[in-house]
Amino acid sequence: MKKILKIIQWLLFVVLVLIGVIYFIWISSAQEPAYILEKTWGEKGSAKGQFNEPTGITVKGKEVFVSDSRNQRIQVFNPDGVILRQFGMNNLERPMSLTIAKDELYVADYFADQIKVFSLQGDYRRSIGRPGTGPGEFSIPGGVAIAENGDLYVPGFTTQRVQQLRADGSFVRQWGITGEAGTFGGKLRYPTDVALSKDGTLFIADGYNDRILAIAPDGQLLTKWGGPFAMNIFGPFNGWFATITGISIGPGGNVFVADFYNDRVQKFTPDGVFLNAFGIKSTGPTHTSIAVAEADDGSVFVADYANHQIQKWRPGK
Amino acid sequence: MKFLLISTTLFFMAITLLWSGSGFAAGTQYNMRVDGLACPFCAYGIEKKFIKTEGVDSVDIDLQKGLVIVKTHEGKTFKEEKLKEIINDSGFTMKSVTEKNL
Repeated sequence: MKKILKIIQWLLFVVLVLIGVIYFIWISSAQEPAYILEKTWGEKGSAKGQFNEPTGITVKGKEVFVSDSRNQRIQVFNPDGVILRQFGMNNLERPMSLTIAKDELYVADYFADQIKVFSLQGDYRRSIGRPGTGPGEFSIPGGVAIAENGDLYVPGFTTQRVQQLRADGSFVRQWGITGEAGTFGGKLRYPTDVALSKDGTLFIADGYNDRILAIAPDGQLLTKWGGPFAMNIFGPFNGWFATITGISIGPGGNVFVADFYNDRVQKFTPDGVFLNAFGIKSTGPTHTSIAVAEADDGSVFVADYANHQIQKWRPGK
Repeated sequence: MKFLLISTTLFFMAITLLWSGSGFAAGTQYNMRVDGLACPFCAYGIEKKFIKTEGVDSVDIDLQKGLVIVKTHEGKTFKEEKLKEIINDSGFTMKSVTEKNL
């Protein structure tokens, strides 16, 4: 009897030590004051200013661009949520993530298997890519990032890869193995979005691996993060993810990640050090934070999928 | 008399239109239960597969009930195996399916 008690004591000790190790190594605490929800705007509908499943967001100066996916349009607002214009109704099938480069808006069109390009005023300019799984072809592209030289980086959700293409759509290289989902050996698992920092580092939202990959301009992996060992262990703790649907780089170089099933945005340094987390909890079967963008003044705008609205957050003091 | 003639003609035209309209609507509705539809990247993937399938009239996703609802054109039907294949190709598993004539 005494022996059994001793074994139980030892087991308890080992479990407590393990919990302590996990806590100190893999669960970070916030490095900044909490963000404050300043306002939300929008509701479900198809009128101007309403949304039917917003899925992408980006900011340029004083304008907030939103992918209003089921309404097949882009809506543009001022930072207080006043609608300025809408466009794309004749060109878009299912717009997803957005990015702006050299005064052009790039839209990943999930159903058209193309990247659609517009002027910031909404004039349709061109389409890049075509449906397929070969080099330079797209199959349900969820996002897009544009390099200084005009190269495109496009994740393919079911092709399990991120392609780098020239501005004319010609293939350069890819990360991941086409059609093969995985966690090891250079494989990706349903990549959803990408972002580029000013120094050319490519950040891949490896969606269902619940991790971020940072890739140097020479194509080599710089770092990765998301849960223990960044090996597809999901969870609700700081620095862990549960399906990443969006990623963006703020003006200061920090990385903002839409952590969809956790209904929050997480903020990191470019090296993956956890800084902050904020969001609105979902009450329904789906979730809220699907895409995120930071403005020059530090405000953070979040596309809220479940509530068909935009959230505006400001840094705490 | 002239009024009666016009009214009768319009009545029969309306009946004809209604008849032909109901004929177009006589497709099949499939309600497929699929787990894990909360993420739009996945749900849209299934939706796209069905939209691009010949004979499909409309696709709806009911997130509350976890259902993919597909309506077909008149006379178009799918075997359960075909529905399973489309769902599988999108990375999901079909748990069950019910069908009804429209």
